[in-house]
Amino acid sequence: MFKDLDPILHSQLRLALVSLLISVKEAEFTYLKEKTNATAGNLSVQINKLKEAGYIDVAKQFKDNYPQTICKITPQGVLAFEQYVKDLHSYLDIKK
Amino acid sequence: MREKELTGQESLQLITQMISRAKNDYLETGLSALMWGGIITFCALVSFLNSYLKWDPLHFIWLLTFFAVIPQIVIARRERKERKHRGHDDRLMSGIWLSFAAAMFLMSYIEISNQWPAPIAVYLTIYGIPTFTTGYGKRFRPMVIGGIACWALAVLSTFTPYPWSMLYLAAAAQLAWFIPGLILRKRYLKERNKNV
Repeated sequence: MFKDLDPILHSQLRLALVSLLISVKEAEFTYLKEKTNATAGNLSVQINKLKEAGYIDVAKQFKDNYPQTICKITPQGVLAFEQYVKDLHSYLDIKK
Repeated sequence: MREKELTGQESLQLITQMISRAKNDYLETGLSALMWGGIITFCALVSFLNSYLKWDPLHFIWLLTFFAVIPQIVIARRERKERKHRGHDDRLMSGIWLSFAAAMFLMSYIEISNQWPAPIAVYLTIYGIPTFTTGYGKRFRPMVIGGIACWALAVLSTFTPYPWSMLYLAAAAQLAWFIPGLILRKRYLKERNKNV
């Protein structure tokens, strides 16, 4: 049914993550967890999948002695998201 | 959020929902707005009263605004540290408020060095610019209203003699910063308690 849609993005949580990351410059793991209401485990798995696909950059650092994960969409991720939305529109036959 | 097969419509809905969640997420501590709203109101009211009291040391009450830069830097640093995300327009907003601070400093310098009477209408017009821009850009209606109120008061002040025009300055500080600051603070504390 959706064979033409990017399988990396055509997943509820991953699509939510990329939609959030396209709207901000960068976001912490806790922000993404808060906005998507996902569990930390599931979120980590999906973030890794997006990272492996080259759609997001993940930086790990320490802030006040606590580990901090910062995610940022890559130019490749932006292009993939734009293509996904375009494909979705043509699939739904929505005229811009 | 659980994984499930998405339909095309659901995908579009999800994208719209997430983008709107991020866009409408103007979460500041409100401390800067409260502090400046409070200080400007206080200074304006003291200036108004002093036009009757005529007590010399109170002529320097506006120096408080220079000293307030120190707590402002501390607040800004703390807020930056606490933030869980950075928006695309964060630098732009900082630039607008820094330009505003520079404009206010220059206006005060020009006014003092030329011994001009306080151009209240000009100050009110300048107050409105970063306030309206922030409210409009961040979709935060209280600041949009505050910015417009500053400009309306600027027009009114041209018909109002000193020291009564000082009351407009106090009203502008309340409408542009103090009241939006209270709303931001309430929203921030609610959000923080939710995440504890």
